[in-house]
Amino acid sequence: MFKLFQMTQATMIIRQTSELVPLMSALHSRTFRTSCCLHELRKMARVKIVDNSVLGRDSLLKGRQPRIIQVYNGPQLGRLGDKVLVSVCGEKKKGYIVGCVQKQKANVPRFDTNNVVLVEDTGLPTGTRIRVPIPSCLRGKEGDFTKILSIATKFV
Amino acid sequence: MSPISFSASERMVTDLGRKIELCSYSGFKIYPGHGKKVVKTDGRVFQFINGKSEASHFMKRNPRNINWTVLYRRKHKKGLMEETAKKRTRRTTKFQRAITGATLNDILAKRNQKPEVRKAQREQAIRAAKEKTKVKDAQKKAVRTATQKSAPKQKSAKNVQAKAPRVGGKR
Repeated sequence: MFKLFQMTQATMIIRQTSELVPLMSALHSRTFRTSCCLHELRKMARVKIVDNSVLGRDSLLKGRQPRIIQVYNGPQLGRLGDKVLVSVCGEKKKGYIVGCVQKQKANVPRFDTNNVVLVEDTGLPTGTRIRVPIPSCLRGKEGDFTKILSIATKFV
Repeated sequence: MSPISFSASERMVTDLGRKIELCSYSGFKIYPGHGKKVVKTDGRVFQFINGKSEASHFMKRNPRNINWTVLYRRKHKKGLMEETAKKRTRRTTKFQRAITGATLNDILAKRNQKPEVRKAQREQAIRAAKEKTKVKDAQKKAVRTATQKSAPKQKSAKNVQAKAPRVGGKR
């Protein structure tokens, strides 16, 4: 916001034409809108792998955090329970989103990290245990979550 | 017989069987459809009834210092404390038992002894002890006189032998 103010000051000095007066007044009176931080899960979104798979553990040790490179969804916007393609330690791996930082609907918990559980191409989870709480609303979701829910230890 | 049924509210469950949770900050009941649930990075889950509780929590305000929370009221003992019944103090009943040395009857007999009887017993015991010591003294005297007559020289020789060097060096 401060940078914007600096910019507006500069623009006021340089461009003092009549057409820009309404715009400048608008900027001056702060009537423009900005969207707040949405925490959306799109491509290149950094993600945390929460199962006990080897890849998951390695990703925590290495510098590069796993990123979403594809969301198997029409709008390419990842939500709770969506299937995604993640790049972990130079590998491409499929996974499911099991926790979002994004503001959720009622009765759906919000997490402090974007959590993903890795899954093989066959649909079986790569890891054997998930220690992090998993939202129980995934039970009713489309898609085969039964195997993931079976290795989960705690539900929220 | 029908089992004792508690109200749904007491069971923290709605009439339809949905669970009523407690706000982790304020302690209020959260009915389904209300509030927010947050899972922190360490896996701890928090339920908040409203934005006020949530905001207070993230501002790191201790609910025990915030007047409107249940935790504060409990800490400062506000409200109807008559509802909480006083903890019944357990009175331990004294029970006399028999020990391996004495049966219950023996113990009771001893306890219920009359003071005159007890006194008489004591005096008897004292007399017996005195008699014993008298006899002992007499015996000792007899032994002493016998040894003195037989060997007075042996005693001095013994004293010389006692001054042997001490093993182990200087103290």
